[in-house]
Amino acid sequence: MNLFRSEEHIARWLGTREPGATITVARLTELACAWWDDRLAPDWVPHTREQNTAILERVGLVGEFWELA
Amino acid sequence: MDDADLELRRRTYAFFVDYGRAPAPAELGDSEDVIAGWRRLRDAHALVLNPATDELRMLNPFSVVPTAYRVEAKGRWWYGNCAWDAIGICAALHTDGRIETSCPDCGEPIAFDIRAGRPSDESLLFHVLVPTRQWWDDIVFT
Repeated sequence: MNLFRSEEHIARWLGTREPGATITVARLTELACAWWDDRLAPDWVPHTREQNTAILERVGLVGEFWELA
Repeated sequence: MDDADLELRRRTYAFFVDYGRAPAPAELGDSEDVIAGWRRLRDAHALVLNPATDELRMLNPFSVVPTAYRVEAKGRWWYGNCAWDAIGICAALHTDGRIETSCPDCGEPIAFDIRAGRPSDESLLFHVLVPTRQWWDDIVFT
């Protein structure tokens, strides 16, 4: 889960490996804020699979790659 | 994960944020009880332990050990486990912050701010190698 300057840098870093998924840092920030916002709340309880799926869907991360276990 | 485990988790995270370092088990209570609780929290993916020592390794999104993702927030430097977690530290602390890392390909420094939930440099790209359903197969590699 790394940040890169461009697609060219990602392709060079991957080499012969199969690529995963690439998103913009703006979308990543949207995802991170929704995912981690409550992590230090005194009444925190683990997100359910459904809650996490809803977060992914809300920021447009859908499809087989983004399906949770 | 019962209420006692959730309370242990809350105190573990609070210690880390207050002191900027991970607690030793004895700083939270009876060492054996704390380690047993941490193991249950690990099994529930609520934190990550060093498998060889039972020391804390990740209090997601925080990394307990130094990583390539440094985050300045609330007057202190933290480490994120990855780019997602680095931004997540600002989100968890409910604050703006600065993230410093380097491009894994060319090694050039990358630095940007998170201000009001937006990155100051929107040209950067985030790549996830491992499909979501496999993240916890090896969370350190992920």
